[in-house]
Amino acid sequence: MHHFLNERPAWYFIGPAFGLIVVGVFATLNAQVGVLGGFSSIVERSTGRAQTLGWKAWFVLGIVLGGLAFGLLSGTWGSNDYGWVTRTFDGGWSVVAGLVLVGAGMLIGYGAKVARGCTSGNGLTGCSFGSPSSFVATGTFFATAVGLSFVIRALGGS
Amino acid sequence: MRVKAISVGFGTLFGFLLCWGTFGQPDAIRRMLLLEDAYLYLMFASAVAVGAVGIRLVHRLRDAPLPQTKPERRHVVGAAIFGAGWAVSDACPGPIATQLGRGFGWSLCTAGGIVLGILLYFRREESAARSPGEFTLASRPASSSTVAASSSGTASLMASAPVASRRSSTGRADFE
Repeated sequence: MHHFLNERPAWYFIGPAFGLIVVGVFATLNAQVGVLGGFSSIVERSTGRAQTLGWKAWFVLGIVLGGLAFGLLSGTWGSNDYGWVTRTFDGGWSVVAGLVLVGAGMLIGYGAKVARGCTSGNGLTGCSFGSPSSFVATGTFFATAVGLSFVIRALGGS
Repeated sequence: MRVKAISVGFGTLFGFLLCWGTFGQPDAIRRMLLLEDAYLYLMFASAVAVGAVGIRLVHRLRDAPLPQTKPERRHVVGAAIFGAGWAVSDACPGPIATQLGRGFGWSLCTAGGIVLGILLYFRREESAARSPGEFTLASRPASSSTVAASSSGTASLMASAPVASRRSSTGRADFE
């Protein structure tokens, strides 16, 4: 089991599987997959902006459970590594790493609310639905993320 | 109850696959964004290809509009801000949710940041609503039109509902 899950599956397995989840949610719930909407639903409910939790909040809860299940089944539960940020700002600089990650999370949350979707919502789902706004958003976030990744590497982010 | 069960079920599958595909590992995402690994792009293209075919097959069985929206400035500006956060953290909302379950301690920072970003958005939107003379990106009146292409192929313009009711409705675009 450990060996099986620690090898990532072929793209032509996992890509269509994600596509089928988008289709499955549309077929059963007549709704569109989007993870940011789940975070937003939890925020709206807990701040009194909404009276109930939307289905996407339950979808996000499922994602958390999926991560838990994978971690336990693959024997990879628990990690103190978060890529270049925690490698660059380690030891006494860990506070900086935390602040950088909080700041990045804020950009993700705020930006995806403005763009009305994240990688799953605008990317996987909106593009599958052929929504013009999602094509524009997806092109923009891919171009920005790729470009900025090269800038971060050039600045010494390891 | 049925909706909750289906949602949790699909979410669990989605989260498990995100982990298996290494999308929950910042270093793996970084290699993909540095174009050293084509996996993300091949996954994405094949997911959209299968999704697009499947959505249209399901849509044929229904006499309802296919949710679509027109591009606006907010989609470019918001996606650029989002992309910056994605590049810095090498994570996005789905993978961050898997990391919470998988015991990645630092994901509390990125998840907490997402919550703060969402709250900032609502604060700005609510503040703009109180002073209608000032428009933010999120509240510009022209930014809320929805194109609904009917099953017969014609398109009509309709004003979208406020955020809260749009979320609870079906058949309308909600890609968040």
